[in-house]
Formats: sequence, structure tokens, C-alpha cells
Amino acid sequence: MIDLHGYGPRLAEGALVTIELAVLSLILAIVLGLATASAKMSRNWVLHRLGTLYTTLIRGVPDLVLMMLLFFGGQIGVNMFTDWLYNRFDIDIFININEFVAGVVTIGLIFGAYMGETFRGAFLAVDNGQIEAGRAYGMSHWLVFRRIRFPQMMRHALPGLSNNWMVLLKTTALVSVIGLSDMVKVAAEASKATREPFTFMIIVAVIYLLIASVSEWGFARLQKRYDIGYGEAD
Amino acid sequence: MESLMNWLQTQLADNSIFTLQTLSYYGEGLVTTVQLVFLSLIIGLVLAVPLAIGRGSRHAWIRLPIFFYCYVFRGTPLLVQLYLIYYGVVFVEGIQDTWLWVILEKPFVPALIAFTLNTGAYTTEIFRGAIKATPKGEIEAARAYGMSWSLMLRRIVLPSAFRRALPAYGNEVIFMLHASAIASVVTIMDLTGAARFVYARFYAPFDAFLFVAAIYLCLTFTIIYFFRHLEKRLLAHLKPASG
Amino acid sequence: MADTPIPLEVRNITKRFGDTEVLKGLSLKAHKGDVITLIGASGSGKSTFLRCMNLLEQPNEGELIVHGESILFKETRHGREPADWKQVVNMRAKLSMVFQSFNLWAHMTLLENVIEAPVHVLGKSKREATEHARQLLERVGLGERADYYPAQLSGGQQQRGAIARALAMDPEVMLFDEPTSALDPELVGDVLKVMRDLAEEGRTMIVVTHEMAFARDVSTQVIYLHQGQVEEAGPPDQVLGNPNSERLKQFLAPKH
Repeated sequence: MIDLHGYGPRLAEGALVTIELAVLSLILAIVLGLATASAKMSRNWVLHRLGTLYTTLIRGVPDLVLMMLLFFGGQIGVNMFTDWLYNRFDIDIFININEFVAGVVTIGLIFGAYMGETFRGAFLAVDNGQIEAGRAYGMSHWLVFRRIRFPQMMRHALPGLSNNWMVLLKTTALVSVIGLSDMVKVAAEASKATREPFTFMIIVAVIYLLIASVSEWGFARLQKRYDIGYGEAD
Repeated sequence: MESLMNWLQTQLADNSIFTLQTLSYYGEGLVTTVQLVFLSLIIGLVLAVPLAIGRGSRHAWIRLPIFFYCYVFRGTPLLVQLYLIYYGVVFVEGIQDTWLWVILEKPFVPALIAFTLNTGAYTTEIFRGAIKATPKGEIEAARAYGMSWSLMLRRIVLPSAFRRALPAYGNEVIFMLHASAIASVVTIMDLTGAARFVYARFYAPFDAFLFVAAIYLCLTFTIIYFFRHLEKRLLAHLKPASG
Repeated sequence: MADTPIPLEVRNITKRFGDTEVLKGLSLKAHKGDVITLIGASGSGKSTFLRCMNLLEQPNEGELIVHGESILFKETRHGREPADWKQVVNMRAKLSMVFQSFNLWAHMTLLENVIEAPVHVLGKSKREATEHARQLLERVGLGERADYYPAQLSGGQQQRGAIARALAMDPEVMLFDEPTSALDPELVGDVLKVMRDLAEEGRTMIVVTHEMAFARDVSTQVIYLHQGQVEEAGPPDQVLGNPNSERLKQFLAPKH
């Protein structure tokens, strides 16, 4: 058996943090992505510009730099706000930015931009005639979206979504740098303490591969569901 | 040069953070980042071409190890790979007494190894896809005209695959530039390392990180521009003639 | 006259895909200047037969003699394979093929396509090959298009370019695999005209085609294949003008 020098439970906790972080960021990213895609397809040029600015900025700057900017900068921003409250209104509170929240927000923000591109492409891939047919039968805007556009779009969005998820999963490793105890951080500490980096890093690598393989299987099943009516996938 | 320095000095006089001193940190960081990214991309590219060819081999003993390498390095975070190689090297019994230590003592080399292996895996997959997408007819024509396997690879398959791979490879270059930011985690003073240093020294996260973000943004746009230009020149053959 | 070897002779070619036998012992002899057309319904094996001649398909049995040289085969775990790939490469350089879908190399200009094999396979100098290529392109009516990429040309132009590419090899025999089938009807004429000219100047050609007028006017021999066997063969007047086989009569009857 592999000797984990007692790091086993902490490593398991770290793995849980990784998964929680990834799933929550994914949800945030999907919401932001849908909003961005809508903004970028909007006729309102302010919204359009904003959407473009967001995706361009996020995709032009390293994830780690964004993460540090939000985490360290966010803390100072909040401190400035609480200082102002204290000076002005004599309200004394201290808000500490939690690494976990900072992690979810940053990763969600980063991948919202990527998801935006994915969703936009998928929306555009849906044949306009399908939407028109829905309207012609008296369906409301929302009903057309929910019953026709969204299900058809998902078929085109899933490959990109699955790809983004795989990248997002690996990006969560960066939160160890800002101090969150995900499994990479635990493994790094254990490596230094026990001088056995191979044991711990390889375990972590295997867990990542495991999560990736399980999700790949899941996405393949989802794709099958959304491919209904299209025969063999092309 | 002198007057430029003087000008800079006056510009920076009423600014406590962006002194010549800190700007030189950023400057050195830029050089380190570019070196690290450029070297790993070049070596990774050289590695990827034969691997991409071998990935399609009909011999399992060639194909499977390459598949495994790509699977592992594309499926795990670069940070884990970096830690593995960085700590892995540092903690090797007795390595500090050998001549190798002279090179390996600095984190630059382990980081370069990790980055190279990482981009090598991604690039292998990109090329593999591009090679597989070679139109079957073009290969048949090459065979029918008496080309040997190696000649066909050299003259037909690879040149056309390189062109097809260009857009995806451009993305990989940007990805590597951004990924290289984690070099700062193992104490390398790259661009991000410089920003972290300035942040720690002045406790000024916005100045430190926004400035470095702007530099990365410029680098990214330069790469995008370069690849667009290259694509325009090399992919001209796919577009119908205008005249 | 000295005894010059026959450009191409195949004997008893059989080919199986899995359990189905698609070629059941086919033979053919192409003398210098012969234009042999292979006709037959789709699935008759005519294209496969042609592709066996330059070993794009490996025949399961049979002999292949190019310019008096017999191609050597050996039995391996994967079935029958050429014993000496160098010999195959040399052989292919003597038989140049024109494909149904042109198969010009997309990343090279027309001129580069034409000089590619002469320079890199035959080892000609680039200057010599280029000079020759320009003449050939002029001949097929594409002198002005030498620096265009295939995607910038019409199907008919691409096919004429592909014929120039084949001619640049100075082949013993030219193999045409349904060269006009992928073309729009109005573009077929130009390609056929180039092929007629080649036949008139005495090129040895083997042509798989659906163009009956071409087969009648140009060929020295017509072979009608049915289910991998020769159903009827002979001079065009006889095979196309006065067929014996009921199947061939039906095949030639105007379609409604």
C-alpha cells in the first residue's frame, strides 16, 4: 500500500474542494456565458460592445493574473469600502474575502467569457426557420427559447461546453496559489514535508484524470440525448 | 537614450510605485516570460512532429505510449506537472552534489521541461488532427505518382497539415503565454513574478496586476496579429480566386 | 523493328474485399498506342481493376508486368504484398493516373503540382521540369493559370491540370479513372478534347469511363465488365456497335 504519511484525509478533503469549486464555477460560467452570448447578439450596441470587451479582456490576460487581481485587489477594494464606512458612518465591520468565493468568482468570470463564445456559436447554428416556425404557431419569446432554441442549441453547444469544462477543471489548480486548500495545495505541502513529490503529485494527477474520464462519459451520454433526430452524429 | 531616461525620470517622479527600479523588474520579467514561452514552444514543436506521425502508426508499441503521454499531459493541470518536475528534481537523492545541480538549481530548467512536455502533448494532438484531415485523394495521388512514404510525408502530408493546423496552433501559443504565468509559483521572476513582487513590496494590487495584465494583453494581440498574417499568406490556396 | 517490351500487361487479377470477390481473374494487354476503355455498370469492378494496375489496391492473385518487368509479391501476415516497394515506386512512376476527383495537391499551385513528382520522384532539375510543365499547361489550355491554387479553378480546369501533371511524368501508360464523372456537363467537353488529342498522338491509355461516344471514337479496344468478369471485349465497332451479350445490349440501350 502507498504510504501517505497521514495526508490521506486532507487529500480527500482537497479533492472535494476541487470538485465543489469546479462545479460552482461551472454554474456561474454558464449563467455568465448565456448573458454574454445574448449581449453580443443584441442589437443594442452598448451591450454588444460590453460583451465584446469582456470576452476580449478575459481571453487576453492569464488566468492567474486575473485571479490575483480579483483576490488581492478585491480584498483591498473591500477594505477601502469598510474604511470609508468607518470614517463616514462610524460603522466598524471587517469583511475578509474568502479564498473559496474568490476562486469561484474568478474562475466563473474567466470561463463565462469562453462559454459566451460557445453559446453564441451554438445560437447562430440553430436554423432561423425553426424559430420562425415557433413564432408562426403563436409561441411567446420565452416559450420559443425554452422549447425550441435552447434544446436545439444544446446539441451544438455541448462539444464546446465539455471542452470548457475540462479546461476549467484544470484551472481550479490555480487556486492553490492564492492559498485555497484544494488537492494540489495539499499535495504540494505533503511533497515538501515528506520529500516524496512523486507519490502525491501522481495521486493528484490520477484523480484529475478520473474526474475528466467520468465527465467525458457523462457528456457523451448527454450528447446522445440532444442528438435525437439527427441520425448519426457528424 | 540619455534624454529618454531623463524624460522617464521626470514622468515617474511623482509616482511612488512605477519607478525605474520596478519597471526594470517588469522588463526582466518580460524577457524571462518570452524566453520561457519561446523555448518551450520551439522544443515542443520539434517534439510534436515525430510524435504526431507516430501517433498514427499501425504498431501499437509506438502508438500507445504516445497516446498515453498526450492523455496524461493534456488531462492534468500544468501546475501539477510543474510541481512534479520541480520538486521531483530537487528531492532526488544526492543530486545537489552532482554537476547537474548547476543547471537544475535554478527553477528555470524544471519549468522549461514541464512547459515543453505540456505544449508538446497539445501540439501533438493538433498535428495529429491535421494529418488525419489530409484529403484521401491527395495521398492517393502521391502514391500513384510513385512517391515513397517519407517523400509523401515530407512533400504532401506535412506541408498541408501544417497549414491546416495553423489556427489551432495560434491558440496554443496564446495558451502557453498565459499558462507561463504559473512559473512565478516556483519563484521564477517572469512577468507575473515581477507583478507579485511589486504587489508584495507596495501592497498595491491594482497597479501591480493591472499593469502586467496590460502587457499580457499586448503580447496576446501581437500573437493574434502575427498568426492572422501568417494564415492570410499560407491559407490563400483555400479561398477562391478574386480575379 | 526491335522487340520493345509491352508497356503494361496484367494476368489473372483477382481481388477480394472480405468475402466478396470483386475481380474474378481479369487480364489485359496494353500495346504501345493502345487506348483501352473499360465500361460497365457501377459495381462491375472497373475502377478497382484500374487501381490494381498501379497497386493502389493490392490484388489477391495475379501478375503485373510493366515494361517487361514483373512485379514481385510476397505473402505476409496481412496478405499478399509487393516484395519490393522500391520496384513499386518505380513502376508507379511509369504509369500516371488521372483521378475522378482530380486530387490535385491543395497547398501547391498548379505549376508546383505539375513539377512535384518529376522533380522529387524522377529527380529532374527544377528548371527543366518547370519549362516542360509550362508547355504542358499551355497545351491543356491553362497557360495563364499556372500560378493559381486548385481551389481557385473550376472542376474542368482542375482536371485538365491533373492531366498535365500526369503527362509531366512522361508515362508509359496513362490510367484514367472516370475523369469526367465529377464534372458539370458543360465542362466535360474540354477534358474529353484533351484526352482525344492524347490518343491521336499515340499515347497508351487505359480509361474507365461512362462516355460511350469517347469509347466508340477513340479506343482501340473496349472491355465490358460485369461483376468482376469480362463479359465482352473487342474493337469498339463490334462491342458497342454489334454486341453479343444481352446484358451489354441492355447497358447500351438509351435510358428513359
